Amino acid sequence: MSSKSDDDFDLGKPERLFNLTCVLLYAKNGLTKSQILSSVPGYDADYTPGKVNPALEKKFDRDKAALRQLGIIIDGEIPEVEDENNQIYVYKIKRETFSWPTDVKLTPRQLALLNLAAQAWAGGSLSSEASRGITKLRALGVVGNSSDIVGISPKIQAFEPSLRELEFAVTENITVNFDYRNPESGEIKTRTVEPWVLRSIGGQWLVLGYDEYRKEPRNFMLRRIVSPVTQVLDSKRSPVTFEAPEQHVLDAAVESLNEHAKSQEAVLSVTPGSEAWFRYELDLVADKKDNIHRINYHDVYVLAEQLREYADQIEVVEPKQLADLVQSGFRKVADLHG
Amino acid sequence: MAENEKLDDTDRFNLMLALTGLLVDGQMYTIEELMDHFKVSRKELIKAVRMISFTDLMKSNMDGKYYLDADDLKDGYISIDYSFSHAIEEVPRLSSRQASALSAGLVYLGSLPGLVDNAEIEELKRILSMGSQSGKKNTVLIEGGFRDSDLVTLKDAIAAGVSITCDYLNLKGETTLNRLIEPLRIDAQGELFYLRAWCPINKGVRSFRLDRMRNALPTQIPISEDARNAELVDEIYTASESDTVVTLEVDPEAYSLIFDFKPVEEPESVTKTVKRFKIKVGDVRNLGRVIARFGGAARVIAPQSAKTAVRDFALNALGESTSTTPKDVE
Repeated sequence: MSSKSDDDFDLGKPERLFNLTCVLLYAKNGLTKSQILSSVPGYDADYTPGKVNPALEKKFDRDKAALRQLGIIIDGEIPEVEDENNQIYVYKIKRETFSWPTDVKLTPRQLALLNLAAQAWAGGSLSSEASRGITKLRALGVVGNSSDIVGISPKIQAFEPSLRELEFAVTENITVNFDYRNPESGEIKTRTVEPWVLRSIGGQWLVLGYDEYRKEPRNFMLRRIVSPVTQVLDSKRSPVTFEAPEQHVLDAAVESLNEHAKSQEAVLSVTPGSEAWFRYELDLVADKKDNIHRINYHDVYVLAEQLREYADQIEVVEPKQLADLVQSGFRKVADLHG
Repeated sequence: MAENEKLDDTDRFNLMLALTGLLVDGQMYTIEELMDHFKVSRKELIKAVRMISFTDLMKSNMDGKYYLDADDLKDGYISIDYSFSHAIEEVPRLSSRQASALSAGLVYLGSLPGLVDNAEIEELKRILSMGSQSGKKNTVLIEGGFRDSDLVTLKDAIAAGVSITCDYLNLKGETTLNRLIEPLRIDAQGELFYLRAWCPINKGVRSFRLDRMRNALPTQIPISEDARNAELVDEIYTASESDTVVTLEVDPEAYSLIFDFKPVEEPESVTKTVKRFKIKVGDVRNLGRVIARFGGAARVIAPQSAKTAVRDFALNALGESTSTTPKDVE
């Protein structure tokens, strides 16, 4: 019994991809491109035997790329049985690369935690990837359930438009370009970076990677990226990839920023009983005899921004650069809002 | 994925894969069960199962089809049957991007104090890497620096459904001691935590910043009927009818404002990097601190009263008199 009777919509991209996936999973020995284009619904209507149709071939290439992004890898190969002089390229999807391993199960609590992890991205750059992942995991049939994580709605602050592309480039080891604004001079330069890892420190996103301009690992704050992030392409228009750094190299680069923060200390004078006093939990310090709070920081501009929120409750004792930044920021705001 | 949201092509295809993975076990589900399980609308669900049933391998000399029982569907039940032995019959693997987004979300959960222990996070990350194409261990590192001792108390009180007392410092700099509130949900937003709670005095849901809260203690008093029925919206800042519409412009350094305040409509691009959007503000005087912290990367465009409020805040912070600036000019 088929439901085709009340078929009232066109064969769109989702159905075409689904049919393609089924056919290539099913065809044990693979299918040639013309077999695919002539038989898979979504291509077959535009196919003429013996004729090359570049638009149709492009469609197939785009679909292959779309499937790849979704984790479905179409392999192209020349079957061993073929006569050497008559080499035919065939396509297929290997079962083992497609299917979730049957021996890997999730408990209701684990699914609940993964749900929460996906929810944490809500509205943020990776939310669609995370929720698609959850949709697939729901196919395992488990229902997420855990009483002790109710009442919590975590939200990762991830609004930077560059995060999505950078995350992809980090996952796939692809070299990227972007325009970066120097916070001091305001100057914008195009940077070429091998992105190694994304970091969020106290709500601020950074990408750590090998900077081809400085010839060393550097950290870039995503909020200072002022252009789309683009993949660097080679002469064949394929993305340029890099070899991921060894773990110890990565660890050292991560640690180096932490060391940098430890070496930078600001001295603040905070009004007792004020909001800032609470924010830094100075009311909880036993025997607090002065108004002084010392704080380590990664980035003087970000710290200046945080301090401006407390306006007249905090006075920067040192460094002078921080005190100046806080003041010049307020001056700029006053001028811009005249 | 919101329940009534329309899916895009990728989401729909992804749903088709997942549905097939679940339905090939031959079990019959009600439409409602599947809507709830996959958190999708009835329309999207039915569309997806129909599309699955249109799969037709006949032309490629492979005799195969997924059968959807149309009569069952009319009665509100969904099951599929299939006639070929090697098509999609398992749960699909995650793509590396899907796995790494979830994995990064887990890292974030792990950074919140007292929620999940690290061994659990590590085990889940291991499962995700087995069930995906990803060869990479970590693409995202999240360091929260959270250390709020009241968090565990609040979490337990919410789970138990009881009121709490606490000391709270409000925006005017006044501390209320032993305030009784009925906790509903903890919203972690970036580096800040908010407690969304029913306030029996104000008869409404209020957001309390945890860094201004001290001495949170659970009581024996169960939360009220009003609190249980209170609607919790996602936004920390909720708008009301009497609010002023304020137009803002932001550089990338202040894009966080778009995320923190729900703009009235989709932000528009003024230049390649500058975005303009409108928000609703209860009291424009509170805008000063919000806008001034960005040191010029965020600007109020209109109305004049909001611009003046921001200017006054900045001048006050500079220790300069604002008496020459007329107040509340429209």
